Amino acid sequence: MTTEKGPWDPGLQPERTALAWRRSVLSLLIGSAAAIRILPPVVGLWSLSIGITGVLVSSALWVASAERVRREDHALRAGTSLPGGLLLALLAATVMAAAAAGIAISVLFPR
Amino acid sequence: MRVWTAGSPSGKVAHDLGGGVADGKGRTMADARRFPNWVFGHGEEPDPRFTLANERTFLAWTRTALALVAGGVALEALALPIQPGLLSASADILLVLGLVIAPMAWLRWALTERAAREGRPLPGASPSALLAVGMTVVAVLLTVGTLL
Repeated sequence: MTTEKGPWDPGLQPERTALAWRRSVLSLLIGSAAAIRILPPVVGLWSLSIGITGVLVSSALWVASAERVRREDHALRAGTSLPGGLLLALLAATVMAAAAAGIAISVLFPR
Repeated sequence: MRVWTAGSPSGKVAHDLGGGVADGKGRTMADARRFPNWVFGHGEEPDPRFTLANERTFLAWTRTALALVAGGVALEALALPIQPGLLSASADILLVLGLVIAPMAWLRWALTERAAREGRPLPGASPSALLAVGMTVVAVLLTVGTLL
């Protein structure tokens, strides 16, 4: 085995991490768009505000995650520290908000 | 040469990826500027591959939580031929699972990162058991709800 330096390790770690971020945030974006489509029979026009809020938040997370992946790549090349856990906390909070919205719909709009 | 208690997921890599380059560039020092301080204020930088693998594990759990939420909302919104009480109970269980697993994923990420920084064994608890029990209950409820 040859000694690898920088981000070009045999496991393609930076690329796999970048793809993991992309499919996570993309799932959120698609879920928000789907909510606009499937929620109207349950909550009426509220589906628009829920869906649009979700799309906006997902878009912001998409930009932030792209920036994070760029910083990770830079840190690996420069040998400096990788980013902390703030964006991860924001992503978890977004998923929690989606779950809370679902529970609120279940309580306020029983079928 | 360094031995990583937690920093080499494959078990095959026992040397620092950055070699001597890492020292003196801020990688080995505890860094209180990064959030959260109770993780990054302790220990020293693990192998960056470990940190990235930990991040991907968090993202995988987050997608799991998101799938649970999406499943719960879909059960609420779609007109399915399932007994209504069991259908909404299933939807609520999925939504609560998603609500609980998302912060658990972040907490687990933080505990794992701190364990790696301090060279301790990784935390053993994970949301897996909760997920398995919850999914089994939902599967039973939906199966019964389809038959009724």
